[in-house]
Amino acid sequence: MAAIDPAEKRRLFERLSSVREIVFGVQDGVLTTAGVLCGLSGAVSQHSQVALAALASTAAGALSMGAGAYLGTRAETEVLRAELELVRADAAAKPYTVQEGLLDELCKEGLSREGAYRIVRLLSSSPRALASTAEAKMFGLSGAMIGRPALDGIVMGIAFLAGALVPLLPYMLIALPRYDLGGALAATALTLFGVGYFEGWLAHRDDRWRSGVRFLAIAMSAAAVGYLIGLAISPLGATAG
Amino acid sequence: MLKPGDPAPTFDLESALNGRTARCSLGKISSDLVLIFFYPRDFSFICPTEVTGFNKALKEFTAEETTIVGVSIDDVDSHLRWARELGGIGYPLLADPDGKLARAYGVFDDQQKVALRATFILDRKRKIVFAASCPLNVGRSVIETLRIVRALRTGQLCPADWTPGVEFGPAGREF
Repeated sequence: MAAIDPAEKRRLFERLSSVREIVFGVQDGVLTTAGVLCGLSGAVSQHSQVALAALASTAAGALSMGAGAYLGTRAETEVLRAELELVRADAAAKPYTVQEGLLDELCKEGLSREGAYRIVRLLSSSPRALASTAEAKMFGLSGAMIGRPALDGIVMGIAFLAGALVPLLPYMLIALPRYDLGGALAATALTLFGVGYFEGWLAHRDDRWRSGVRFLAIAMSAAAVGYLIGLAISPLGATAG
Repeated sequence: MLKPGDPAPTFDLESALNGRTARCSLGKISSDLVLIFFYPRDFSFICPTEVTGFNKALKEFTAEETTIVGVSIDDVDSHLRWARELGGIGYPLLADPDGKLARAYGVFDDQQKVALRATFILDRKRKIVFAASCPLNVGRSVIETLRIVRALRTGQLCPADWTPGVEFGPAGREF
């Protein structure tokens, strides 16, 4: 029987914690850029202008998303750290309260009162074990939840950039009217389907295709709305010119 | 919650005493005073400090003609295992699984479904002469309870913080 290596599993979970940034970044990069391309193609006739504007939007988007992820994770981490410190201080100052709280939680999870009491008593022989178990069981907090702001920011920025290149590269390489946007949309659709499928695979879901199709449907909806908005505002550009 | 002057609700319940199951009836207790202390649960972390605290002071309470009775909503098997876990308890732990007795004394916490940390002292006529309750997270003082028992046994006016040997009554005292 293959034994589970907790250290390896922990590393895997740590890597997986970046999945949110990767999926969010790629999806946002693909969708935003495809939306920009569709919208500008509706409003602006020159291919190079559309490509340039989309490039600028990509750079701004990647920086913005990276900074947003960094700041978001940092704020979350600070709040979480403060909460963990409070819980640990409480456990040290009022061990009885923590013991009683943990006892109640374990009973709620189906353990007999006597069984739960023995577990808590055993845990109490190590204040660290008592505190970390209380954090997880009583408050749903865990040291593993503390994120890495810089890493999250970088991963998000790169993911957005990679996602943005998906529609942007075909659009820039195919210099034929209509085919440029068609190529961009095809690459977008394929990538979003792939991201959805990948997410389903990570979650060990059987309906990975459905997950892919859901992403695709969202992408198509966003692109269509973007294009329609572009068409709607194109008369404004003509007036200004 | 019942108060001093109220007649004490009687009981006749199963209890764990010295490692055995025994029937415990208020009517059969012949001591001068009866100390009933309700506690929330067996196998918890504050209650044992009280249960063992009263057990350590059992001789002193007995010397004051006072019978101690512990009550919780746990059944008698739980009390037996719990008492064994605590190294043996020399006074009865009453099983009040449906909380009837706790309700009769007005100390049943309907939200938590346990008895409050409440203490009652009954006199020879089995009227309540002392009643107090603590929050669930704060344990009682055995020393203070013993002091009150001793004060009640004097039948005198006992000033604040009175202890045996200290003058009775406030007359002539300067404040």
